[in-house]
Amino acid sequence: MKEQDKIYSSRAQRTGKFLKTGAKVGANYLKHYSKKLVTGESNDAELQEANANDVYDALSNLKGSALKVAQMLSMDQGLLPQAYTQKFAQAQYSAPPLSYPLVVKTFQQYFSKNPLEIFEDFSRQSVAAASIGQVHRAKKGDLDLAVKVQYPGVANSISSDLKMVRPVVGAMFNISQAEINHYLAEVEGRLMEETDYHLELERGLRICKECAHIEGLKFPQYYPEYSAERVLTMDWMSGLHLDKFLETNPDQETRNRIGQVIWDFYDYQIHHLKEVHADPHPGNFLFEADGSVGVIDFGCIKVLPPKFYERYFQIMRPAIEQDKEEFLSLLYDLEFLLKSDSQEEVEHFQAVYADVLGLLGRPFFEEEFDFADKSYFEEIYGLADVYQNDKMIRKAKAGRGPKDAIYLNRTYFGLYNMLHLLKAKIKTRSAVDQLFLA
Amino acid sequence: MTQETDSKNLKQEIIEKYQEFLLLEGKSPASVYAFCKDLEISEAEFYQHFSDFDQIAAHFWLSILEATQERLQSSPEWESFSAREKLLSFYYGFFESLKGHRSYALLILKSVNMASPRGAEELKELKSGYKDMVKELVAEGQQNNEIASRSKLNDIYDDLFWMQFLFLLDYWRKDRSAGFERSDEAIEKSVNLSFDLIEKNALDSAFDFGKFMFQNR
Repeated sequence: MKEQDKIYSSRAQRTGKFLKTGAKVGANYLKHYSKKLVTGESNDAELQEANANDVYDALSNLKGSALKVAQMLSMDQGLLPQAYTQKFAQAQYSAPPLSYPLVVKTFQQYFSKNPLEIFEDFSRQSVAAASIGQVHRAKKGDLDLAVKVQYPGVANSISSDLKMVRPVVGAMFNISQAEINHYLAEVEGRLMEETDYHLELERGLRICKECAHIEGLKFPQYYPEYSAERVLTMDWMSGLHLDKFLETNPDQETRNRIGQVIWDFYDYQIHHLKEVHADPHPGNFLFEADGSVGVIDFGCIKVLPPKFYERYFQIMRPAIEQDKEEFLSLLYDLEFLLKSDSQEEVEHFQAVYADVLGLLGRPFFEEEFDFADKSYFEEIYGLADVYQNDKMIRKAKAGRGPKDAIYLNRTYFGLYNMLHLLKAKIKTRSAVDQLFLA
Repeated sequence: MTQETDSKNLKQEIIEKYQEFLLLEGKSPASVYAFCKDLEISEAEFYQHFSDFDQIAAHFWLSILEATQERLQSSPEWESFSAREKLLSFYYGFFESLKGHRSYALLILKSVNMASPRGAEELKELKSGYKDMVKELVAEGQQNNEIASRSKLNDIYDDLFWMQFLFLLDYWRKDRSAGFERSDEAIEKSVNLSFDLIEKNALDSAFDFGKFMFQNR
């Protein structure tokens, strides 16, 4: 791959790129509606596919926070039409790499040494892209290492990048400004944390220790002596990414076992540690033929505040909507309903959320859940249409739902999606049951 | 032998004394005479090494350029670098060394009009040293097909790169980011842009095709 084909250097240039995309998407709509006028028929899927292509082309030329936003949106399967998510899924694997001289410079800055003075072997080209950095492979003695190097200036550009993303994303995805603000404030906080490799090191070490007892999970060892603010060194993990792993045609038993390991890992984090690796996209996992799973990248950790945690899982209880009074009070507590809502709005949103929550909670309600079930996922994808076509939601001036839920929802969407790709059957009985019974 | 060392020492002393004066006073000494009196040397001795104060500043830039080049060339990886990587490494090295003399560099640059630095005596030696280096890089890049050979343009590649260098110098001068990270970004992006432009690309094929159509009408 050529290093950094095209980089849009200034903010103005990047904004320009975004605006161009906005214009293109606009043109797609125009085409769509004129076709509708002429032929009297329309093809929504075609339109969305065309939009997704343009949006993807624009975003894949950006990096840093803009790429991260693309990733985030691609995880929120429920929020986006399927055409977008397929396109965005590609963005998760590649971003243009940094030049080797800049990597050397970064090493000089933190260790006063060249990479080759520290390691016996160091790949000049990056071997993988992370959203805000890139990975090099290195060797020292018996150690096979992955060295993550962060792009300079990422932390500085996050808030300006997000500001510039805001209006355009809103237009592109048909989300109201209020909803976007609600969403981006939380995203900005997590992104800032991700630029801090010291923090990632510390969290990586802790979660690895806490989850060491879960069989079949593998974590890399971290090396503080070769890590700094913008450099993070850990073990090189073997194994295949999900798509490559599936190409090897693993049998059902292996798939179930792997799926169960991942499920248990998340269950333990959410219900025991109350903090969760909130970035379950397939690029962060490596799979091995013996059914073990390697977890990499602890950049994005969401801590669940106790109050939020309790309410969130209370409202996920099966058939909660039948207990009208409690359901309503939980909806208010979680800001799904607002004090300023009219009677009509309260009734409308209550019905919408009862459907949505019942759908998202379904895997919890049974002893065992088959994530291969396509119809379930079609229902979830269908949510996007419900949201997009619901006039009352689109007109709403304020964002709804607790901001803490953004990352937890994202975690569950990502988890469900991975299990679906794995076609795994999972025993979903978990710690959450005690909550349901309580 | 001793005379030579003495003269070298004196040159170094003049440089250091001038630098100190400029840093503390914020301007050049009133005259070479005053400066020499301060230093307790004769004017003749001063003119043996420099013809003016500008020359001292010019020497400062050149010495950083040369030290950077020397350091880079001694690294075992240098020979295996592409022209693009060599230029990137040079910029990173140059600005890293400059960091240690930022106040002095800023003072000198203050009197240079970055928009039209044509007449800037202070940067003259740096310019010729830099251009020599870039010419070599471009020739090397053309040999291994990294850079497209474009008849007339070939002669001004070094001028274009000099403009890039001035841009980076000016950017670094105004940079207020922690650790001058923004300057690193500016280097990375501008070098990549320039190399993307001068390597063989669609333009060359378009031009070639146009020529063919024109000649074979």
